[in-house]
Amino acid sequence: MAQMPALIPKEVEIQRLKKIWLIVIAMGSTAASVEVDNFVDGSLHQTSIRDSAFTPAHWWLYSHFITLPLGWAAAAIYDRKVPVLRGPNNSINTGLKMTILGYLATMFTIGVNEMWHFWFVEEIFAVPNHWMFNMGVVVAFMGALAYVVRVYARLVELGAETPGENPYVAEMYKMALEGKLYSRAIP
Amino acid sequence: MTLPKGFGSSGAGGASSSDVERMIGRRVENMTGMITVSYIAAWLATFGGTAAGYFYYPWAYPTNSGHYAFIVLTVIEAIGYLFCVKVMEEGSKKNSNGIIAGVIGATAVGTVIISLYVGF
Repeated sequence: MAQMPALIPKEVEIQRLKKIWLIVIAMGSTAASVEVDNFVDGSLHQTSIRDSAFTPAHWWLYSHFITLPLGWAAAAIYDRKVPVLRGPNNSINTGLKMTILGYLATMFTIGVNEMWHFWFVEEIFAVPNHWMFNMGVVVAFMGALAYVVRVYARLVELGAETPGENPYVAEMYKMALEGKLYSRAIP
Repeated sequence: MTLPKGFGSSGAGGASSSDVERMIGRRVENMTGMITVSYIAAWLATFGGTAAGYFYYPWAYPTNSGHYAFIVLTVIEAIGYLFCVKVMEEGSKKNSNGIIAGVIGATAVGTVIISLYVGF
């Protein structure tokens, strides 16, 4: 794998990457639980077409709109201590930028959504006021995936994690380390 | 190697072992206690959240639904707890398998008891 320049001692970098990893695992648990709640929420809407945002199945679902942005914010703040994760011109990591933009779109759409449902009481997944919700979450998850793969690839490079045996996976890690997982132009 | 301001012996370059210790702070393999407390807090909060649902909104959230959510979330939290501790301790000489087994076992028993007797 490509050797990145060592700007901080290896042992320090492994410890810092693992602290980021702790945040990522906690957020992964939240995301997994929300996958389950998709079914709970879906079954609620089978019987109750439009309801308050404060019904329990929605507390569970919406909790990840709070937890994941806060978690990524924590990762973004701590991320500054790991030079290899910096974006172009020492800016914030490109994956984290995408994640933040995605969640900003989602937060904006919460207001749009409530305005829409003030007049229209249906709760169909494909209505236009939901579009930016879903697109925002997808953009956020794409950025998060790029970031997570890069953290893992760096842990592999530092010898703290096991490299992928599949050559295609190994190639993906290599691309991630070179900042080319999604684009050869944007590091 | 470039070190942050305040680290390294003046002008000589390179990090001494005490510099490395200062830059690391608390080591991740020594965070098991904090992770365990966080897991237990998350589990109690999950019980509180679901209980609030079936005590205050029983028409929208039957007790059985609350217990279903509580059980599923406990499983997910337990997996996250296991990953956190195992990943943080890998590569070190630390081993907290006993603590993990004890805590997950205790929350499993607690979950079953709560699901059988609370909220009906």
